[in-house]
Amino acid sequence: MMVINNVIQKYFQKTTSVAPLAVFRICFGLLMLASIVRFWSKGWIEQLYIKPLYFFPFYGFEFIKPLGEYTYLLFIICGTSALLVAFGWFYRIAIVSLFLSFTYIELLDKSTYLNHYYFVSLVCFLLIFLPAHVYFSVDAYKNRKILAQHIPQWNIDALKLMLGILYFYAGLAKINSDWLVHALPLKIWLPARNDIPIIGFLFNLSWIPFVFSWFGCLYDLCIPFLLSYSRTRLFAYFAVVVFHVLTALLFPIGVFPHVMIVVALIFFSSDFHQKIIDKVSTWVKFPLEFIRPSAFKTYFPSSYVKGVFAVFFMIQLLFPFRYLLYSDELFWTEEGYRFSWRVMLLEKAGYVQFTVKDKDGKQMIINNNAFLTTLQEKMMSTQPDMILQYAHILRDYYAKNGFDSPEIYVDSYVALNGRMGKPLISPTTNLAKETESFYHKSWILPLNENIKGF
Amino acid sequence: MKVFNWKNTYFLYFLTSLLWACGGSGEVNNPPTPTDEGKNRTIILTHLADNIIIPAYANFKGKFDIMKSKSDAFASQPSISSLGEFRTAWSEAYIEWQKVELFDFGPAEKQTLHSFYNIYPASEKGINDNITNPNANLEVPASNAQQGFPALDYLINGVGKTDTEILVYYTTAADATQRIAYLKRLTSRMELLLGKVTTDWNGAYRETFITKTSLDIGGSTSLMVNGLVLHYERYIRSGKFGIPSGAMMNGVVSAEKVEAFYKKDLSQILAKSAHQAYVDFFNGKAIKTGTEGPSLKTYLNALGAKDSSTGKSLTDLLNAQFDVNKARIDGLKLNLYEEVKTNNQAMKDVYTEMQKATRMLKVDMTSAMSITITYTDNDGD
Repeated sequence: MMVINNVIQKYFQKTTSVAPLAVFRICFGLLMLASIVRFWSKGWIEQLYIKPLYFFPFYGFEFIKPLGEYTYLLFIICGTSALLVAFGWFYRIAIVSLFLSFTYIELLDKSTYLNHYYFVSLVCFLLIFLPAHVYFSVDAYKNRKILAQHIPQWNIDALKLMLGILYFYAGLAKINSDWLVHALPLKIWLPARNDIPIIGFLFNLSWIPFVFSWFGCLYDLCIPFLLSYSRTRLFAYFAVVVFHVLTALLFPIGVFPHVMIVVALIFFSSDFHQKIIDKVSTWVKFPLEFIRPSAFKTYFPSSYVKGVFAVFFMIQLLFPFRYLLYSDELFWTEEGYRFSWRVMLLEKAGYVQFTVKDKDGKQMIINNNAFLTTLQEKMMSTQPDMILQYAHILRDYYAKNGFDSPEIYVDSYVALNGRMGKPLISPTTNLAKETESFYHKSWILPLNENIKGF
Repeated sequence: MKVFNWKNTYFLYFLTSLLWACGGSGEVNNPPTPTDEGKNRTIILTHLADNIIIPAYANFKGKFDIMKSKSDAFASQPSISSLGEFRTAWSEAYIEWQKVELFDFGPAEKQTLHSFYNIYPASEKGINDNITNPNANLEVPASNAQQGFPALDYLINGVGKTDTEILVYYTTAADATQRIAYLKRLTSRMELLLGKVTTDWNGAYRETFITKTSLDIGGSTSLMVNGLVLHYERYIRSGKFGIPSGAMMNGVVSAEKVEAFYKKDLSQILAKSAHQAYVDFFNGKAIKTGTEGPSLKTYLNALGAKDSSTGKSLTDLLNAQFDVNKARIDGLKLNLYEEVKTNNQAMKDVYTEMQKATRMLKVDMTSAMSITITYTDNDGD
C-alpha cells in the first residue's frame, strides 16, 4: 500500500515540458474556429437551429432554448473564443466561453447529437483547468510572470486519458455480435461506396466488411496504447491518419477525422512539440527570452484541479456503462446509448405515423413535416426518447388547436442493422400521458433478439 | 511486453476472422449473377434506362401521339365518332401513362411531369375559368388540377350526361370555340412537356443517370429510389386508394377523388397498370422482351438483404406482398367510385396491404441499400 502511495505521489510530482499543451491549445483552437466557419458557410446554423419550429432538448437541459437569429451571435462568440484560445489571449475567459457556447449549441437539439461534439465539449472542459496559456501565448507574452516551461506531467496525461477513453470505449462498443460476427452495419454501408475510384471494387467483396469491422475494433482498442509507447508511436500515428482519412472518404462524418488526427498529436514527445514551436518562433521572430526564458519555471495548477479531474474521469469511466442498468437491447431502445462513444454502430431507419385523438372521437393522422425538419424526423423516427418528446409537442399543439385533452398514439416501423422492420413503440400506449425519466420505458416493444457483447 | 502479447492475440483473432470470412464468402458468390456484377449499379441503371425507362416512354409517346391526333381531329370536326375515338385514345394513353408515371426522377422530376399530368380530382371551376381566360398561367402549381389527363377526363367525359350533350358543349354552345381551344392547349402542353422529358432521356441524361451511381443525396440511384418510394407511397397507395376510401383521411370518404372519376370504369385498370408497372420495374422486367434483368431486386439480392429471423430474402417478401396487393386490386370493380360507394372495405383493404409494401420499400429496402429518404411526407394532405 505504501509503495502504491509512493508511486502515485511520485507521479503527481513529475513535471514535463508545457510545449505539447501549448501546441494542442493552438491546434484545437484553430480547428474549432475552422469547424465553426465551415458550419456557418454550409448554412447549417439557419437550417439546424433557426428554421426548425420545434427542438429536442436533452433530458434535464430543457432550459437550453433556441435563440432564433441570436444563434448567429452565439456562433460568433464561439468562433471568437476559439480564436482567442488558439492565441492564448484572455485564455481563461476564452476557454470558459468556448466551453459554454459550444456546449449550448450542442445541447440545443438531440437531432444533431454527435459523439465528437461531446468530445469537443469535454476537451474544452479539461482545458478550462489546464495551464495551456502559460507558454507560447499572448497572455504569457504580456504577463511574463505566468510564463513557464514546465507543468505537471498529469496535465498532459489528462488529455491523453480523455482521448484514450474515447478510443478504447469506442473499441469496446464494437465488441458485439452485429459488428464482429455479422459485420453490420459496415456490410450495408460499404457496398454503397463501391463506385469510388480505385478502391471501390473492394467493397463488393463479401469479406471486406469483416476486415474493416475487425480492424476498426482492434484499431480503437489498441491505438491509445500504441500511441503511448515511443517505439510504436510513429506507426500508430500513421495508422491514425490512414484510418481517419479512410473514414472521411467513406462516410459523411464532417470534421471528426480531422479533429482526431490533430488531437492525437498530444501523444508525441515534448521535443517534437518544442521543435514546432521553435520553427514557428523563428518565422515570426519571437524574442528568445520568450521561447527559452533564462529563468526556469514550473506552473502548478491549483490543488482543487486534481479533485475535479478525479471526479470527472470517474464519471467518464462509468457513465458509458449505464446501459447495463436497462434490461432491453441497447441498440433497439437506445437507453443509455448517447455519450458513450458508440460510433457508427447502427444502420437504423424508421417510419412513424402519429395519430391524435380525443374523447369526442375526433381523430387525425399527423403530417410530421408540418412540425419537424427532415433531419429531425429521421432522427426521431428511430429513437424512443425523441418519439416521446415529439408526442408531447403534438399533445401541446393539439390541446390548443381544437382537441380536448388529446391522446397521442404512434404506429412505428423500425429496421435495425439489416433486420426486417418491426414496431418499436406500443401502438396502444397514449404517449401524451407518458413522461420522460431515466427509468426504462415500458412502452418500447422488445427487439426479441439478443445482440451479444458490450 | 504485455501489450505486445495482447496485440498478438488480437492479431490471431483477426487472421482467423479473415480466413473464416473468406471461407464464408463462397456461399454468397453462388447465385447466377456474380456478386461483383450484382452490386454494380451502373449495370443496373443501364438496364433500367435502356430496357425499361426509355422504351416505356417511347410506348407512351406512341399512345400519346395517337391521342393528340385524335384530339386534333375532334377539335377540327367534333362529332360523336371523333369524340369516341378521342376517348378511346385518351383511355389507352392514360393506361400507358401509368407505366411511366413512376419514373418521377431526373427529367420527369425536373419538368414536374407528374404534377402537370395527373393531379386529380380535376378542378372543374379552374378549368372553366381557364376556358374563358386563354392567357391563364398553366405553369404554376395552382394550375395542376386544371390540366393533364384528369382535366381531359372532365372535358371529354364529364361536361355532359350523354355524348350528344358533350358534343353540344363543343359545337353549338356559346363558349364552344374557347373550349376547343382549351382542349388543344392542354394536349399541346402535355406534348411539349413529354417532348422535353423524352429528349433528355434519349440524350444527355441517360449518361448522367447511369454514371452518377452514388447513393448520396443527388446521386441517380438515390434520386431514383427516393422517387420510386415516394411514388408508391403517395400516388399508388394514397392517391388511388387511401384518399378516396378515407383510410387516410381519418374516415372522411371521398369517392369523387378516384382517378378517372368522369370515365368511371377505368380507375381500376389504371391502378392495376400502375401497380404492375411498379412491380415489373422493381424486378427489372424489360419492356420489349419481358425478361428480367439487373434491377433493384438483383441488387438487394446481391447485398443479401433478408429477414434474419426466417432467412427469407427481402425481395421475396416484397414480391409476395406485391402479389397480395395485386390480387386485392384484381378483386375490385372496374369503377372504383362505385367500389367506394358500395364496398369501401375492399378499398381500405388494398390500402392496408399497400401500407405493408410501403414500409418494406421505405424502411427495409432503403436501409439495406444505405439510402436516405430525403423527400418529405405529406400524408393526409
